[in-house]
Amino acid sequence: MRSLLKLLLPALIPSWNFFDVIAPSPRVEYARLRSIGDPSGDWREFRPRPESLSPLDTFKRLAWNPRWNESLFLVSCAERLTDVPTAHSEDEIFKRIAADLRGEPEDAARPWLCFRLAFVSREADTVTSEVLFQPAPRRLAEIVVA
Amino acid sequence: MSLPDAVRLTETLLALALIQQSLEHLVRFENERRLFGARIILCGLVVAGVASPWPLVALAGLSLLILHRFQGPYNGGSDRMGLLALWCLTLAHLLPTPALQELAFGYLGAQLTLSYFISGGVKIVNPDWRSGRALADVFQFSAYPVAESLRGWAERSRVLLAMSWAVMGFELVFPLTLLWKPALIAGLVVAGTFHLANACLFGLNRFFWTWLAVYPAILWLQGRLVQ
Repeated sequence: MRSLLKLLLPALIPSWNFFDVIAPSPRVEYARLRSIGDPSGDWREFRPRPESLSPLDTFKRLAWNPRWNESLFLVSCAERLTDVPTAHSEDEIFKRIAADLRGEPEDAARPWLCFRLAFVSREADTVTSEVLFQPAPRRLAEIVVA
Repeated sequence: MSLPDAVRLTETLLALALIQQSLEHLVRFENERRLFGARIILCGLVVAGVASPWPLVALAGLSLLILHRFQGPYNGGSDRMGLLALWCLTLAHLLPTPALQELAFGYLGAQLTLSYFISGGVKIVNPDWRSGRALADVFQFSAYPVAESLRGWAERSRVLLAMSWAVMGFELVFPLTLLWKPALIAGLVVAGTFHLANACLFGLNRFFWTWLAVYPAILWLQGRLVQ
């Protein structure tokens, strides 16, 4: 009950400090690995944004935007993982990557899945990226997607 | 607008906004389908005005399960405003006296005003916002721009400087619109356009619908305060 109140109170007594500072921004990257310690992973950004969006697609997204909103939820999970790491946030990211990969051809040689969180920020006039979190890999087939 | 009319309009708009959000959850995972399917049904009852206020009470209870499911709001500020509106509306129905009901609903209108004013305040004390650098950072490397082509806006320093001051200025003067109803209506049109731009540029469609849903609360509050 106390934990629920802790989740609800920030909504009932909001801070409204939207974009007060532009903090380092997380990117979720994933790789399929041969084994747990496999260093040869081909890291890819999870759901890279499109090069451009047509006015019609922009308009449609006003009413139907599930993938983007899910990506924003993963940004929240990524920020939570570097702030106060929890199994919940890690599970959510694994689950959502796994759900997308289930639609792709199987790669039996690389049964392990890992992700990492690269945080992009600006120092002076240079944009840099630093990996701040990388959990232990999990077997893709064993990740529950439900 | 009377209190019952304003509450009814707000709860209807909020229920429609929550239906829109909930539909987006039906396409992915089974455990989300159950939670958000139930929310759609309850929102339908709110829109239809059936068994009031119990569907709202049930939605407030369900909101706790959803908070637990995602260990917080699914989509940050927009979900927080939705939760605030839901709980204020529920209290506006359940509290025993008209004065307390007004207080609960007025709190929602006041928080809407603060959502703009505080957002402007925290920006203007930041030198990066005053120089336009912060907005350039949003376009250059934040997770929000919906397309890579928008990253190029980071180079338009003069435009971003003007946009930064326009946003901060609007947010800070917004409470003054409460003094005169036509000014408030004009302010809400500008604010709605601002949310629409955020939805188009940054994919924040939930903000657009949720904030719009709460506008009747501030219109009522203005009438109540400036009688």
